[in-house]
Amino acid sequence: MSDPLPIPLRESRLANGLRLITVVDRTAPIATVNLWYHVGSKDERPGRTGFAHLFEHLMFQGSANVSKAEHLSLIESVGGSANATTWLDRTNYFATVPAEWVELILWMEADRLGTLLAALDQVNLDNQRDVVKNEKRSSYDNQPYGTAYLELLALAYPKGHPYHHPTIGSMEDLDAASLQDVRDFFATWYAPNNAVLTVVGDIDEAEIAAAVEQHFGGIAANSKLPEHPNLALSAPLGGEIRKTVKDKVPDPRLHLAFRAPVLASPDLPALEIACQILAGGRGSRLTRRLVRQEQVAQDAGLSVLPFVGGASLVVGSATLRPGASAEKLESLFLEELARLAANGPTSNELERARALIESEEMSLRSDPETIADQIGMYATLLNDPDRINRDLATYHAVDAAAVQRAASHFSAENRVVLWYEPIEQAAGEMA
Amino acid sequence: MSAQRPGPGSPREYHFPRSVEHLTAGGLRIIVLPMPARPLASVQLLLPGGAALETAKDSGLTAALARLLTEGGDRHDADQLVEASELLGAKIGAEAGWESVVIGSSLPASRLAGILDLIAEIALSPRVPEREVERVKALRLAAIEQAHASPRARANEALIAEIYAASAAYSRPMGGTRESVAAISRDALMARHAALLGAGVPTLVIAGELEPSDVIRTVESSPLAQLRSFGLVAPTAADAASDTSAGIAAAPRLLLLDRPGSVQSELRIGKVGRSRLDSLFYAAMIHSEVLGGLFGSRLNRVLREEKGYTYGAGAGFEFRRGRGPFTARTAVESSVTAPALVETRAQIASMTLQPPASDELSAARQYLRGTFPLRFGSASPVAGAVAGLVAVGLQATELDRFQSAIDEVSEGDIAQVSSALEREAERIVVVGDAATIAAPLRDAGFAVEIRGEEGG
Repeated sequence: MSDPLPIPLRESRLANGLRLITVVDRTAPIATVNLWYHVGSKDERPGRTGFAHLFEHLMFQGSANVSKAEHLSLIESVGGSANATTWLDRTNYFATVPAEWVELILWMEADRLGTLLAALDQVNLDNQRDVVKNEKRSSYDNQPYGTAYLELLALAYPKGHPYHHPTIGSMEDLDAASLQDVRDFFATWYAPNNAVLTVVGDIDEAEIAAAVEQHFGGIAANSKLPEHPNLALSAPLGGEIRKTVKDKVPDPRLHLAFRAPVLASPDLPALEIACQILAGGRGSRLTRRLVRQEQVAQDAGLSVLPFVGGASLVVGSATLRPGASAEKLESLFLEELARLAANGPTSNELERARALIESEEMSLRSDPETIADQIGMYATLLNDPDRINRDLATYHAVDAAAVQRAASHFSAENRVVLWYEPIEQAAGEMA
Repeated sequence: MSAQRPGPGSPREYHFPRSVEHLTAGGLRIIVLPMPARPLASVQLLLPGGAALETAKDSGLTAALARLLTEGGDRHDADQLVEASELLGAKIGAEAGWESVVIGSSLPASRLAGILDLIAEIALSPRVPEREVERVKALRLAAIEQAHASPRARANEALIAEIYAASAAYSRPMGGTRESVAAISRDALMARHAALLGAGVPTLVIAGELEPSDVIRTVESSPLAQLRSFGLVAPTAADAASDTSAGIAAAPRLLLLDRPGSVQSELRIGKVGRSRLDSLFYAAMIHSEVLGGLFGSRLNRVLREEKGYTYGAGAGFEFRRGRGPFTARTAVESSVTAPALVETRAQIASMTLQPPASDELSAARQYLRGTFPLRFGSASPVAGAVAGLVAVGLQATELDRFQSAIDEVSEGDIAQVSSALEREAERIVVVGDAATIAAPLRDAGFAVEIRGEEGG
């Protein structure tokens, strides 16, 4: 296989600590601006779960020179699109626009980082609290199996651990969030020395550097940036944790979780390849065995959720075929995991997994948004943005023994088994 | 902070990839879209004739056939097929559409020849094993139950059945219904496959870092060159409207699907919309952005940013060869179901009462123009978009004029879209907890018809 050309990263840092990374990519006349803040739901204090995400919503409610709800409309009106996401370890904001508008985005990002509180009021907070509560209803509470990932986090991480609660938080805690909480959170975490700014696209790097200095240079660093909470955990769970949830679902579904190495671990790529061999598409072991041969499942999945501290998670799921045996589904699923741990992958499986990863890498490199986000992640969480250029070689170096070792995380001493089962329908519900 | 907003730098041009066309002696149409610096190529083989041809009895047959194409051909069984394609770094998929079945793959451009052989094999001589037919049917039946349990999917499905006549293909989900799926046989699937190869012009669309003459030579020497072309597939009455005269009565009829204990209500308003072939297509696109496409659209601005009723609200046309549906959709907290529905209707009506202002039109135009290159950064959406044009009978070059066509839409064109939409019969579907929401909906003036859990 031929190595792709390296992505040329140019790095600099402002006096206030803001890290800037630029990449020139002239394949399309667009530019993407991506900001990672190193703050996520792990940094929330007790009684304020869901706050990091609620705060992310408030970042779109205006600042000194941008009015309420204008942020996204302004980007749309110049022909761009934008969004943001909050996760356990971080929050990211990204916008892609026709290249000639890139400085407007830099200015808007600087305006909200420098002056967010100027536009903050109770009306905006209450409105976005309602929006977020409806997001929780739409995405979790009102969906069949929608609460599974909330359950898995709570089971895989002990009470009090920063990963125990989900980013969406609880209704009660969302209700409790106050304007003072917003001010404190902003003052604590939203500082240039807690951010990585990545700009990728049809840009002039010197012009970007000058614009970033002009717009962000005057924003003060937070000299008292706190440490992130202690995430330490014993790597394996130390046993099997089992739970059954009765819910409004049509068929039983098995969910699994295993503690796994952290994002920085050299063992993680092998674990990702193990998941690819087990559940990556029609030719994977779980799909062949559970869905096609034994026909006990409608679907089968397994993937890594990488986290920075304590332990990452591998999460899996399979929905029972109507009429099939749940016990059989669970034992076959676990048997396939154990078989990989016992015997490792075949050379054919490893070769296929590598070929697919190579294609995925090509796909990633045709999308400036993905390039910027990946660089932001590696810079923020691993202090290693150039890792993006070593990823492919890292995956190619994974051998059969490494995949087999990685599969040892799928052990009985390290698993959460969560079943969703249908609530029996009460008779006479027909209207 | 500076209060001075930076203006634009000098604008740069964007061109949709130029297509190169070639027709083989047998009649396979080849469209190549060279894209420099895009080593991951996309290959899509379009076989004309899709789910729009189906009757209520054979609904879901085309979708089932598409799923079964990847179960192997005369040389490879299903496992061998997936292994052979993965060794090329490719996944092969087949998908039914209203007008076609598309077999597609993404892979490194250097390995094109290998994938063409596999695509030809499953297109020309699929295996369709009996055992897999039964498995695909069983999985579809389970998926129907899964969809019924999802308030979103249940609302969408009920709405199209309200909008279109029961005889019209658009009134049914493409995957088919409980009754029609249960009746699918291998014979019917093979007959459907024979019909696919015996109608219309099969078209191969390939995008990526490729030299068109090389691609054409490779295709000509592959088994795909055996594909033949026939006359065009005639349009069907897939888009016939349902004939009840709801919406004319004093109280608008509302179908309420009961979901006891639901913490939100899924709201849908639907009408027969517009065809992709409609001369007002670009005007309808702008109309949709203003009403319910942009984050700053009328619906989202009021229902989310002003009222906090929802996480998001949207509306728009779905363009097909026939007149696809127009849909407005949101999910709101149960206690505000009635006011949210009233507000949604008011925003749709506002498109004629307060025609879009110049800033709304300019935002929609700029958004559509500006995000156009963003949509086509990689080969797969480029090939997919061109295959979509071919499927409905448009030229492969249609997207070359996208940006100018958006500019040429007049306010009069948009007014025409708004007023035509207003004249279409309105269908309303709500999925939610009837015990909580039925009374407030009746008080708000709707003629509520409640259907229980098993009502289909």
